Amino acid sequence: MKVLVDRHRCEGHGLCEDAAPDLFEIDDAGELVLLFDGTVPEGQDRQAADAVRICPVSALKAE
Amino acid sequence: MTSVIPSTDIDLYAEESITSPYEAYKKLRDIGPAVWMEPYQVFAVSRYQDVYDALHDHEGFSSGSGVALNEPLNQKMKGSALVSDPPYHDHLRGIMGVPLTPKALRQHRELFQRLADGLIDSLLERGTFDVVVDFAQLFPLSVVPDLLGWPAEGREEFLAWASAGFNALGPMNERAQADIPTLQGMWGFMAEMAVPGRLRPGSWGADLVAATEAGTLDKDLLPAMIGDYLVPSLDTTVSALSSAMLLLGGHPDQWQAIRADRSLIPNALNEVIRYEAPIRGLSRLLTADRELSGTTIPAGSRALMLYGSANRDERHWDSPDTFDVTRANASSHVGFGHGIHGCVGQGLARLEGHALLNSLADKVATIEVGEPTYRVHNTIRAIATLPATLKAG
Repeated sequence: MKVLVDRHRCEGHGLCEDAAPDLFEIDDAGELVLLFDGTVPEGQDRQAADAVRICPVSALKAE
Repeated sequence: MTSVIPSTDIDLYAEESITSPYEAYKKLRDIGPAVWMEPYQVFAVSRYQDVYDALHDHEGFSSGSGVALNEPLNQKMKGSALVSDPPYHDHLRGIMGVPLTPKALRQHRELFQRLADGLIDSLLERGTFDVVVDFAQLFPLSVVPDLLGWPAEGREEFLAWASAGFNALGPMNERAQADIPTLQGMWGFMAEMAVPGRLRPGSWGADLVAATEAGTLDKDLLPAMIGDYLVPSLDTTVSALSSAMLLLGGHPDQWQAIRADRSLIPNALNEVIRYEAPIRGLSRLLTADRELSGTTIPAGSRALMLYGSANRDERHWDSPDTFDVTRANASSHVGFGHGIHGCVGQGLARLEGHALLNSLADKVATIEVGEPTYRVHNTIRAIATLPATLKAG
């Protein structure tokens, strides 16, 4: 599973971080940092899917 | 696939359905994914998954032809971010969203916390107060006009304008019609504000005006965009803050839990917005036939996304009519909408709400609330008055 970030849409609300803290982090500057390379690590598909679904502004897409 | 969509004679805009909406919403959910409302010429979409799916299908469920339930408003609002589709929508949102990201709002955190502390201190001294006027309205009014760059004159009209703006997003019934003179006053003022120099330099509004000077934004669309900042930033927040006081006052055990663990504050605010969605719903125009849970909604029709109902849908929520600040999936609510049109001001709403809940948690042992009365408003879940007393501790 891959996750794509639309950097234009991302506003840093951080719901992805709440849903999948091992995969997404809002850093001290308020920017989204991906803690993986876009390909979801083994066993984290559910968290990744949760994060994609909960982003309130459609900034995340799953492939 | 269903070829005949059921109708209902439930009137969502009758006074009873407005002040006590949740029974009507449940009835609609039980009838089907889409239910035709003849007087309003719109399909009511009331279940969580269908609302979510429609909001995420912004091509099929278009905002560019308006999100209100009447044509005059839908025409008037064209050019706003609210009433637009990509690519124009994305261009606008990319400009107006800049000062509203949580990152951009950080610089205001200290100020907001200080203002919140001051407000709660004064309410503690006061004894009994009105949650709406003395708490929920006061705070947004003390921060938003300044951020927008509004001149001092004209601010007393703000609340009336915001309210009229939201009433007009419903059907053009008597209560919306009664608000038209107020709306016209607002549009006149917004056009005036679009003139360079009227808004405080460096403010969000002035930055929009500057963008038109620089040619990145069409000047003709400026009043609608200024409206994008002004109208949704007051009534909605007032609604959520009023509901927060009501609900936390009515659930003292949960209030104590929040005092003991501040990390509950964000989820508590989400649960407030889930439980009493400030915006009942907004509509979309179908640009193509679309299926929601097996029901086909035909191209050319208008569909009303009922956030207030989706947020109570038993198909998505366990015990939806129970207020629970520890609810695990509270943040999945659609009280801010969802998708590309998801509320661009939600970061600001959260900043205000969290600051106030923090102050309350620091200073207030007991929140005592009386009975609320509700305003009869087409679009906003609006408490009219709510007496309350805060006890220190």
